[in-house]
Amino acid sequence: MASIGSEIRKILERDSYWSVLRAYGYAGLVSGGPWVLSILSIMMIGVLAVILGVAQKEVNAFQICVTYLMAGSLIWTGGMQLMFTRFVADQTYASDKAEVLPNLFGVLTVTMGGGFVWAAPFIFWSFTGPFFQQLLLLSNFIILSGLWINLIFLSGMKAYRRIVWTLVRGYSLGVVVALMVSSWELNGLLLGVLIGHGYLLFSFLHHIVREYPGRSLIKFDFLRNRRSFYSLFAVGTLYYLAVWVDKFIFWFVPVTSEAVIGPLRASIIYDLPIFLAYLFILPGMAVFLVSMEADFAEQHERFYRAVREGDTLMHIEHRRDRMVYAARQGIYEIFKVQGLTVVLCLLWGRELLHAVGISPLYIHLFYIDVVAVSVQVLLMAILNVLFYLDARREVLIITACFFISNLIFTFATLHLGAETFGYGFAASVTLSAFLSLFILSHKFNRLEYETFMLQN
Amino acid sequence: MVEQMNSTAGTRVAQAVQAARAMQPDGAVADIALLLEGTYPYIRGGVSAWVHQIISGLPELTFAIIFIGGERKMYGAAQYQFPPNVTHVETHYLLDRDEPPKAGARKGNRRAFSEMGELHAHMRRSGQMSGEDMMSAFAGLGSEGGVSEGDFLYSEASWDYITKQYRERCTEPSFVDYFWAIRAMHTPLFVLANIAGKLPAVRAVHSISTGYAGLLGAMIRLRRGIPFVLTEHGIYTKERKIDLSQATWIHDHNDDVCNTLHDEMGYIRGLWIKFYEQIGRMAYAQASRIVTLYEGNRLRQIADGAAPEKTLVITNGIDLQRYQAALEKRPDEIPPILGLIGRVVPIKDIKTFIRTLRMLVNERSDAQGWIVGPEDEDPSYVNECKELVISLGLTNHVKFMGFQNVTEILPQLGLVVLTSISEALPLVVLEAFASGVPCLATDVGSCRELIEGSGEEDRALGAAGSVVFIADPEGAAKAALELLNNTARWRAAQQAGLARVKRYYDDKLMFSSYRNLYMQALNGAAQPLSV
Repeated sequence: MASIGSEIRKILERDSYWSVLRAYGYAGLVSGGPWVLSILSIMMIGVLAVILGVAQKEVNAFQICVTYLMAGSLIWTGGMQLMFTRFVADQTYASDKAEVLPNLFGVLTVTMGGGFVWAAPFIFWSFTGPFFQQLLLLSNFIILSGLWINLIFLSGMKAYRRIVWTLVRGYSLGVVVALMVSSWELNGLLLGVLIGHGYLLFSFLHHIVREYPGRSLIKFDFLRNRRSFYSLFAVGTLYYLAVWVDKFIFWFVPVTSEAVIGPLRASIIYDLPIFLAYLFILPGMAVFLVSMEADFAEQHERFYRAVREGDTLMHIEHRRDRMVYAARQGIYEIFKVQGLTVVLCLLWGRELLHAVGISPLYIHLFYIDVVAVSVQVLLMAILNVLFYLDARREVLIITACFFISNLIFTFATLHLGAETFGYGFAASVTLSAFLSLFILSHKFNRLEYETFMLQN
Repeated sequence: MVEQMNSTAGTRVAQAVQAARAMQPDGAVADIALLLEGTYPYIRGGVSAWVHQIISGLPELTFAIIFIGGERKMYGAAQYQFPPNVTHVETHYLLDRDEPPKAGARKGNRRAFSEMGELHAHMRRSGQMSGEDMMSAFAGLGSEGGVSEGDFLYSEASWDYITKQYRERCTEPSFVDYFWAIRAMHTPLFVLANIAGKLPAVRAVHSISTGYAGLLGAMIRLRRGIPFVLTEHGIYTKERKIDLSQATWIHDHNDDVCNTLHDEMGYIRGLWIKFYEQIGRMAYAQASRIVTLYEGNRLRQIADGAAPEKTLVITNGIDLQRYQAALEKRPDEIPPILGLIGRVVPIKDIKTFIRTLRMLVNERSDAQGWIVGPEDEDPSYVNECKELVISLGLTNHVKFMGFQNVTEILPQLGLVVLTSISEALPLVVLEAFASGVPCLATDVGSCRELIEGSGEEDRALGAAGSVVFIADPEGAAKAALELLNNTARWRAAQQAGLARVKRYYDDKLMFSSYRNLYMQALNGAAQPLSV
């Protein structure tokens, strides 16, 4: 966090509008990079493949397949991602870096090997396509399951610049390969994505192996701490389930969906606006990175240093106030910049949909989705602060609330009619954000008490 | 000074015990519960030897051993074989908890904390408390009605109380140090309250120090109304003050700017000292008799807050019979060998002994120094001592012999030397006298009384050696040389030692005094609480 924070601060210190813009642009690319690049490249493959003469039906099937692969692998690895990040942080704190690499291979064995064990029977049993296609789907899933672990690990190492450039190269490679073998239609496109993601997985791994020493090949120590294991695993899994559950509902309720390939279904009315809306979290993510990962992290570090190194209680309280101020500023800034983004989307939403060729019928769903994903950035920022404070139980409560409310509200909108579609997700994420704000405020008020009295 | 021996005391106390047992068919596990902090049966040393001696010497009574230690890992296996009249043994560690309360946020009982505030204010003002105040404080300790241990460790009320105290009083900057000092100071109290609550029925308690053991005695006294007797060998509070003033685990926040304030003690260090003074006073307040080994310590106890009418002196005694053989084994000539019999720890100031040997060897090249005692307590100090021997070129003159049977060592020695910076009534001096060895000791504890005698009659027996200043190798070497080179003087000292130990330090005197003490306590068992 020091490196990215100071890098951004250096650009900011040049003190011109251009430099501010560059700082936030850089931060946005770094933080929203993986998400935006993957959406953009999948869309690009789709558009270019159609131009190259691939049937629209095949392209749709490809996009649905990739979406499911992403959703499935994120939910499958979400728990492990958090657990392993925590393990690495503990090891780094204990200056035991040699334990990290063997455990990374341990996690990869669990996610990729475990993924194979349950996904293979599922894919071979429920997809009726050719064996080659089944194999491609399975390989894609396994590669993605490993990729997310590596990606979050590198984010933990704060190797943002490398992540971004590797992502650019990997997705470019994927797009090029996909288009070169586009004559194989769906299989060709899947092969392109597989090669792109495969390249990413192995170049990330290459970087990690070079950076981290290791004495043994594989270890499973990250599974040892049972208590933090369960709550972090639950948080990671619940968060991704919460983010995807409304989509799954729309995919599998007959009135809003249609079968596309094998058991996979899609919801044309629901999917496009939400994925488009996700592109507009970029400003918020940029602010998140600058104010949270740089400012808040620094204040947080200073607070705990004051506690550890024997400052007076009054100074500890002063540091607490500064930390609370940094968190409040961060949340406020995200609120402002995402608010502005929402306003701009309201102003130019129709033109935008028209420009990318989406029916203006979707405009209201798009509006509410932009609001919802903006609040989601806010929720993410608050969860991040709570993670810094090691409030695992509180985070679990919030993600559980997010998941359950999204499930209930989304079903409710199905009953209320098409004009309420999207409001379920929006209401759920807003409720969770308010809950998390409330919890954070409570947590901050009792911070010294909890830090001193409840730490053992 | 020594209570007169009563030949029928043994039978009388046995009758009293019988009567007490008959009156209370209470299933008491023992007559006397000995409260032992960091000594018997796990650590060898003067106090432990004394405890073993008392138990063995009073076979008509049954004893419960309640050992209180810091951490389990600091103690190995028991070093003593219990005599058959030890009927109950408990071992507790104040810092290793078997079942610490579960951590979790809680509100806490604010009323109990504000009562605690009054109690603290009271202690600050006068240092003395009424019995009722103490009763209510200890009755509430560890129970749900008062401040439970969980409340103390985890509650908001406790946090508010601690931070308020810090703001109002602490003059040192580090809150985290203050916080942990307060925790470390108070958590043992809950362990003690727990021990006091769970202790099976006994007829009386006898604590062999103040400190935590003395506090436990006071707690048991307040909770059960049974008699509580206190014996102090060394003065615990004074020893803690020495430890604390040197403790490096407490950081005094003296910055370089105000150098002139350097000799002022830090707030937290002062807090610890006040804490030990306070728990010492509580033990004095609740004890029915306060025993010590010699007059100097008795005066010190009174100065520390013990009521003079409760105090009495019972000196140590030894089994003269045991040392008769050692006396007979002595060679005719005086061996030029100085023996320091004691643990190799800083308080014994072994380094001064080694430096003394250097001075002595310059005058008498055949002189030897034997350091006889266990070396496992402070390995780094042992190393320093061994290196000092090498650097002073004394490898052929100074021997580290480890723990040995003193009756085999004593006949080989010409002088027993004690260079300690603190002692109470060192048994080794009595053992040396009984074996016919004069002593050279620093002027600490009762050493002067032992060597030169106290009271006219005692003094008339003559000097059984020499008394020197602490940390004075030159003076010690000179005194040693005078004794070793002057046979007539040495012989006179030997005779004085033999006569003195026979007349005043026979263990039969000590046993009869304790018999009387226990009998008084057991007969007074039905008395109400006194303040």
